[in-house]
Amino acid sequence: MSDNLQSGGPDNQLEQPLLVPIKRRSFFMYAGATAGATALVLAGCKKDDDNTPVNNTPAVDLGSGDVGVLNYAYALEQLEAAFYAEVVSRPYTGMTADEQAIMRAIARHEAIHRDFFKAAIPATNRIANLTPNFTSVDFSNRQRVLETARTFEDLGVAAYNGAGPLLTDVSLLGIAGKIVSVEARHAAQIRELITPGSFASDVVNARGLDQALTPAQVLTAAQPFIRENLNGSRVGA
Amino acid sequence: MNLFQIISEISNADPEALERINDRRSALSALGDITKKLALAAAPVAIGAAFNKTLAQGAGSSVNSILNYALSLERLEAAFYTQALAAPTLASAFGANAALRAGVDKIRADEQAHVDLLAAALGTAASPAPRGYNFTAAYANIPTFLTFAQAFEDLGVRAYKGQAGYIPRTAMANVPNVGMVNVLQTALQIHAVEARHASYIRYQRRMAANASGGSQNQFGWITLDQANGAPAAVYGPGNPAAMFPSEANTTQNAAINLTTMGTPAYTAAEISESFDEPLDHPTVLNIASPYIIP
Repeated sequence: MSDNLQSGGPDNQLEQPLLVPIKRRSFFMYAGATAGATALVLAGCKKDDDNTPVNNTPAVDLGSGDVGVLNYAYALEQLEAAFYAEVVSRPYTGMTADEQAIMRAIARHEAIHRDFFKAAIPATNRIANLTPNFTSVDFSNRQRVLETARTFEDLGVAAYNGAGPLLTDVSLLGIAGKIVSVEARHAAQIRELITPGSFASDVVNARGLDQALTPAQVLTAAQPFIRENLNGSRVGA
Repeated sequence: MNLFQIISEISNADPEALERINDRRSALSALGDITKKLALAAAPVAIGAAFNKTLAQGAGSSVNSILNYALSLERLEAAFYTQALAAPTLASAFGANAALRAGVDKIRADEQAHVDLLAAALGTAASPAPRGYNFTAAYANIPTFLTFAQAFEDLGVRAYKGQAGYIPRTAMANVPNVGMVNVLQTALQIHAVEARHASYIRYQRRMAANASGGSQNQFGWITLDQANGAPAAVYGPGNPAAMFPSEANTTQNAAINLTTMGTPAYTAAEISESFDEPLDHPTVLNIASPYIIP
């Protein structure tokens, strides 16, 4: 699977919109070429079948440069916050006390991240509130909920890792760094609820590196869960 | 004498001191500057460092010094888990808990991979490994081992975060058999793995305490600056505290007051959990150095 991504090279369609120097772009190819990354992207594609956006769905342009990166993060945090709010309000069958405490805590963390970005992005540049689409998630099913949570958390980690070098403002990079490790803590915590010992399994490669994905790759995976069509082609550029 | 500390003190006193020493000739001239900034007794160590830099002859020595700092922490962590898995005092407990043993071995493998990657990226610029480590106190029993593991992982997360702003986003490193990699990107990828480790260890401590009738409220994230048995300094402020606040910090941007947002309003504990904080190089080394035999 990883060979597919690697052999795509700089001409891979996923990479085309990313207007970054060749060196960085080719590094992303290396960084993104893990089995886990491929699985995430494929998972996103698969769900496209059920959730093809309708023609009149508004497009949302995340913008360019650092503001684009902030809107990108804001979009992902909106998605995560909405997901966990739903999990908390509709607990799955057999949710233990510890699991309830974990879901409630993560719901608050993601809402805090969302509200932080909302306050940090100037109103004139900020994207609107997004409409989540969780029709593919059976919220009564523990396994399905936890696997979706794992997808979002792993994706969030890969997104921040990939976006870090796109930021020109060092203080924003600092904020991203403060958030990405919390997302990684969430990912490991959720993974331990699904399969003990899987905290760093398929998402960490043989060199001990977590995933790093481009905005294009991340948005492809996230789009099925969002009604609006996100355009991240200028993020960080 | 703590070698790491001295070098970092030179860097503090004169951040460009190490960067200036890029070739043999400038090493000799730079020595004059360095010795002015040091007590006489420490001078030979600094001279050694200067010539190590000279031998390395690498461009971008500032990035190299960050990579060497990371290498020193990864070596510490790799040794910590390698020795734990071989410690006679932990053998029967690991034997009785295959799942924990597997989890610890996974962390060990990740840390060793980080050592190998950083050493490969540095090549001849890699600092020599220390003579050894002293983890005896950590291996008394599994709860103590896990407490130390939590401290090292949470410290590692803070240490990487503390360097992110010093790595130029365009800095590249040539890793044999991999090719050119973006240094900041790679550091972030390691950083996230350390956070996964920390979360796993923290949750193991919770479950172990609760299973034995004790109580451990923590999950995978850090609440305020609660150390829960680990050294308080791991969660405390660095220097300067304005740049490196404690993990209890609730202000990420002076203009944004999160405590007035949310329904119900976000608590200080929740806000602190949502953001991990960076820690500066000297503070990290002060915490780690008692376990290093230089």
